[in-house]
Amino acid sequence: MASVAWSSTRWHSCSGTMEWEEEAACVIMCASVKYNIRGPALIPRMKTKHRIYYVTLFSIVLLGLIATGMFQFWPHSIESSSDWNVEKRSVRDVPVVRLPADSPIPERGDLSCRMHTCFDVYRCGFNPKNKIKVYIYSLKKYVDDSGVPVSNTISREYNELLTAISDSDYYTDDINRACLFVPSIDVLNQNTLRIKETAQALAQLSRWDRGTNHLLFNMLPGGPPDYNTALDVPRDSPRRYFLLSSQMAVHPEYREDLEALQAKHGESVLVLDKCTNLSEGVLSVHKRCREHQVFDYPQVLQEAIFCVVLRGARLGQAVLSDVLRAGCVPVVIADSYILPFSEVLDWKRASVVVPEEKMSDVYGILQSIPQRQIEEMQRQARWFWEAYFQSIKAIALATLQIISDRIYPYAALSYEEWNDPPTVKWSSVSNPLFLPLIPPQSQGFTAIVLTYDRVESLFRVITEVSKVPSLSKLLVVWNNQNKNPPEDSLWPKIRVPLKVVRTAENKLSNRFFPYDEIETEAVLAIDDDIIMLTSDELQFGYEVWREFPDRLVGYPGRLHLWDHEMNKWKYESEWTNEVSMVLTGAAFYHKYFNYLYTYKMPGDIKNWVDAHMNCEDIAMNFLVANVTGKAVIKVTPRKKFKCPECTAIDGLSLDQTHMVERSECINKFASVFGTMPLKVVEHRADPVLYKDDFPEKLKSFPNIGSL
Amino acid sequence: MQSWRRKSLWLALSASWLLVLLRVFPLLRLAVPTRPWAGAPQGWPRWLDAELLPHFSQPGELPKDDLQPPRGPRGGSCDWGSCFDVSKCRGGRLKVFVQPVAGPISDAHRGILASIESSRYHSVSPDEACLLLGLEAPAGECSPVPPQWNGGRNHLVLSLHPAFCPQTFQLGQAMVAKAGPTVDTFRPGFDVALPLLPEAHPLRGGAPGQLGQHSPHPGVPLLALAEERGGWRTAGADSSACPWDGRCEQDRGPEQTHPGATLPNATFCLIPGHGPDALHFLQALQAGCIPVLLSPRWELPFSEVIDWTKAAIVADERLLFQVLTALQEMPPTRVLALRQQTQFLWDAYFSSVEKVIHTTLEIIQDRIFGASAHPSLLWNSPPGALLALPTFSTSPLDFPFYHLQRGSRPTGRFSALIWVGDPGQPPLNLIQAVAGSQHCAQILVLWSSEKPPPLRWPKTAVPLTVLAGQRKASDRFLPHTAISTDAILSLDAHSSLTTSEVDFAFVVWQSFPERMVGFLTWSHFWDEARGGWGYTAERANEFSMVLTSAAFYHRYYHTLLTHSLPEALRTLADEAPTCADILMNFLVAAVTKLPPIKVPYGRQHLEARPPLTPGGPESQPPAQDCINQMAAEFGSMPLVSSRLRLDPVLFKDPVSVLRKKYRSLEKP
Repeated sequence: MASVAWSSTRWHSCSGTMEWEEEAACVIMCASVKYNIRGPALIPRMKTKHRIYYVTLFSIVLLGLIATGMFQFWPHSIESSSDWNVEKRSVRDVPVVRLPADSPIPERGDLSCRMHTCFDVYRCGFNPKNKIKVYIYSLKKYVDDSGVPVSNTISREYNELLTAISDSDYYTDDINRACLFVPSIDVLNQNTLRIKETAQALAQLSRWDRGTNHLLFNMLPGGPPDYNTALDVPRDSPRRYFLLSSQMAVHPEYREDLEALQAKHGESVLVLDKCTNLSEGVLSVHKRCREHQVFDYPQVLQEAIFCVVLRGARLGQAVLSDVLRAGCVPVVIADSYILPFSEVLDWKRASVVVPEEKMSDVYGILQSIPQRQIEEMQRQARWFWEAYFQSIKAIALATLQIISDRIYPYAALSYEEWNDPPTVKWSSVSNPLFLPLIPPQSQGFTAIVLTYDRVESLFRVITEVSKVPSLSKLLVVWNNQNKNPPEDSLWPKIRVPLKVVRTAENKLSNRFFPYDEIETEAVLAIDDDIIMLTSDELQFGYEVWREFPDRLVGYPGRLHLWDHEMNKWKYESEWTNEVSMVLTGAAFYHKYFNYLYTYKMPGDIKNWVDAHMNCEDIAMNFLVANVTGKAVIKVTPRKKFKCPECTAIDGLSLDQTHMVERSECINKFASVFGTMPLKVVEHRADPVLYKDDFPEKLKSFPNIGSL
Repeated sequence: MQSWRRKSLWLALSASWLLVLLRVFPLLRLAVPTRPWAGAPQGWPRWLDAELLPHFSQPGELPKDDLQPPRGPRGGSCDWGSCFDVSKCRGGRLKVFVQPVAGPISDAHRGILASIESSRYHSVSPDEACLLLGLEAPAGECSPVPPQWNGGRNHLVLSLHPAFCPQTFQLGQAMVAKAGPTVDTFRPGFDVALPLLPEAHPLRGGAPGQLGQHSPHPGVPLLALAEERGGWRTAGADSSACPWDGRCEQDRGPEQTHPGATLPNATFCLIPGHGPDALHFLQALQAGCIPVLLSPRWELPFSEVIDWTKAAIVADERLLFQVLTALQEMPPTRVLALRQQTQFLWDAYFSSVEKVIHTTLEIIQDRIFGASAHPSLLWNSPPGALLALPTFSTSPLDFPFYHLQRGSRPTGRFSALIWVGDPGQPPLNLIQAVAGSQHCAQILVLWSSEKPPPLRWPKTAVPLTVLAGQRKASDRFLPHTAISTDAILSLDAHSSLTTSEVDFAFVVWQSFPERMVGFLTWSHFWDEARGGWGYTAERANEFSMVLTSAAFYHRYYHTLLTHSLPEALRTLADEAPTCADILMNFLVAAVTKLPPIKVPYGRQHLEARPPLTPGGPESQPPAQDCINQMAAEFGSMPLVSSRLRLDPVLFKDPVSVLRKKYRSLEKP
């Protein structure tokens, strides 16, 4: 930095303001000016020579500056790229560890281990993200006394797996903060392991401690996945075989059973075996035979609806993943085989489990499954493959997620998150108030009046609302910061508690804030100018809300329409036969929606509403419809409301701009939600005997709809 | 002068060069990777030769082990495939025979027997049954080896109470359904874990969940702690940092100790995982207090099918403080969902002994069904697996309950099912009115009269089929295979509806596919004088039943009524036709817990008397009584009252009739 400061002070003294990019040129000019001042005698001789010196000198200084500057800024980007902090070396260079023949062998695994007995949770302390921290031991090469390697240093798959963990949120490089340890000793394939020596190698890991909190990955012995693109395209053509068995090493007793099935059901069952007469150079693993007919494997799996996964030498079978990938429904015939990730994956949705004893009946069992369920299973099988088995990375992350869910059960993924395919997740709605429950009438409701300065009208509303029998509390949200609310003595005297909440800012969303003062589940939002609702109408509205506690229950109804000419949504307040929204100028709803509006409103809708001072009611309608998937309930006949649309002094034009604004809101919200959640219905709620030929005085709510 | 200047210039030049080099060199050195900086996060190395690494197994590599014979080693442990002979269950149907017990039996025991006998699984002969059920004597008397024991194969030993008698015979291959089994002896997928029921648990019906509202009341304390003596101690939100006895003496202030019988009133209930506390679990569930189980040593009840993560939190007791922090910070959305799920589960599977036993049998039936068992969604969302029969369909889309969860809609048409009893008059006007509806898919005439049906029927826009009935009132609720739509419009020959009414009612039904949508209503009431339930057809401000002589409902209710209700109830319906209406309303209300929906009906004079009973309900004591008999069979009164009617949006509004879609509803 010193050089920069020096040069700039020196040369800047001669000129005023100049652009950084033009400095070089300017400086030269300055220099010449300087010498011109020095005296004529010197100039003719010195001029050219010194100019070169100065130019050279300056350009060097400048170069230095630029170079310095560039290196000041560059290294940051270099540091963050992984190439810089990770070693670039070969696997062959890893340190060698010699295991003495008498080094300790760890105890046998304790079969009775449970999460709460064998797992040391104290290592997994409180974690704001509720994710476990995983440490990976560094790679070493283990050799025995005579220098023979214990195993392959690391396989390509295990390297991939560790890379996936290292790149994930779970990874930590601090062994002291880790809750789970992953050895870098590759035990994926049991066949290539030297069991005793590997155990010794594991035992000398620095935090082994009888394997507590250590995670070993042991995959099925089988063919490595080959990512054949042709296979990854699901086929829609009908599948030729109903049931297919493609395994090679099958116990003769089972093979007899399978052959019997084939003999009985003919073409629809295909039982394949190893090919005996393949020409040289053809990999037997990619071929299966039926007598002399040769089939390509695993492509042939795509031709079948159901594929058998049979008990082989080991319970687990690599064929399962081939079958899933082909979108074939696995038929698992292996008693006490625990399907992968069965702790969280619902295999009933993607497979058929048949007890070994019932093997001869398998055809009949499968035939009884309805076609629609089979299609569902095929989709589910493919989705499992894509989400959890497709790559080593997917397997590694699913494993860690399961362990993490066990340790932080209150933040665990739900059954739906694990099992529902994306298409279902997108279209499904999980209503937050799903329990069919009619809240007790005794609880009553809290009325929330949003007001600015219309005190007279406000007092009338308060007096009117206080006549409603089920009102239990009245909350006035005073949204005017420049004026104090009237003194206590001036407020109308009512039979229920009245509270005034002063807000910090004049915002429309204050109406929907989940105030601590709201003690009831039911909330009545009412404007300070809605004086035309009768006590009967409000009480009836509350009764309707009790029967529909998960909906917006309101008085004036509105509709959204698709404008075909403009190709966008339009707001409609005319006398229509349908409703899709109710205005929150007078509406009952569950207080939980206040919480949702304040804290869970998608996108920038909340700020947008506050900025435009409009459409908070439309936003609430969108929110509730989106989260519950249900329509609003409009109560009681239409009245002339003193609503924003109706207050227009200069009727038509103001009305027009208002409608345009409201339509804009609908379009804006629909784009934020990514869909149109509002539901259109053709009904409204009236008292049972409304307008019936029945004595008025015997009706519970006689004063309904009067103007 | 000149040399001085030149020297100074050179000096400046070299100085700046030096500076440049000094700045640049270390950076250049860094550009060449040598080793990572100390302290920088160190991930798994990107090996230069990663692409050259060998695969973990070679193509075609086969397991070295020998091929195992079929049916692997069994040891002492049984699983479903090896220890239960499914082939004994003919047609995949579970049939249960209860082993007779020698000597006197207790009331509780008798109750259990009665509830099994009333279930659809009961069988009177041990030869026909595929499950033999042995009841543990609750008094601790140990029964000898039952007859036909056969090593316990296809036996279920049911023990509702924890006083598990020391076995005089080896359980062997018998399944054990036991309250609160320890995790170590429990055989997953074979044994059934039952809840630990209190002594006085009701046999039928049972108390409803205690939760009156969805969200926690603001004043309710956060935590209740299960105490050794069987009671509950509540702790405020603040004192939760010292939850365990002894450790927080100074915080005793806001806490209250409750006697054993009361239910906890808190948002979360902390339950230690030792054996006796299993009883607390059920209490918490009923109270809607989210159970927080600390490393339970016992298997959670019905864990095979119930997804407990939706209703309870099973946490590690060693991380208590961490758990408490998490509970305090749990978002309201999750709390709301957990609370509601506790109530649903309590009500669906635990509130009575009968439900517990039926759930146990249903689990075993599901194992026998295999692929056509209840999907998980049916077990874990309302109305629960006992009320959603997999024999109807295994796809949730076919039921009326799961459209929201699956993002689907019921089919957009309906089938009209017209029941024609004596005197056998073909309902020609009604057929025309119904066929005129744009939503009508087909008309089915269920001919239940002595007179033979006419050979010629009017030409209609939709297909008309005549079905032969057996002249019983419950005929109309049989799951006729001819019904091709989700919605059924159930009608009587003498019902009278307009096309407009039908159209509007169907549009309303589409919004409420799980409920009944009807025109004529009845209401039930508690008759103090008679000490029983009564009902009236008089017009009132509220109603709780709609008549099936004109009502829309989902076709699933036909299957449910026919296959899940006890025989006795259906016989009752056959005896008095009014009872059929009440039965259907009872059933739908028991499933939905919600009232039916009334839509406007033009001909109000008909409302005065129920069309099915010529003399009116007052003159028919048996009908009055059937509501009480049904209430007894259901164990409680499921009917719920409603005070509203759904009208078209512009119904009787002061606007031009031309604007109105359902204008014929307006006619007086």
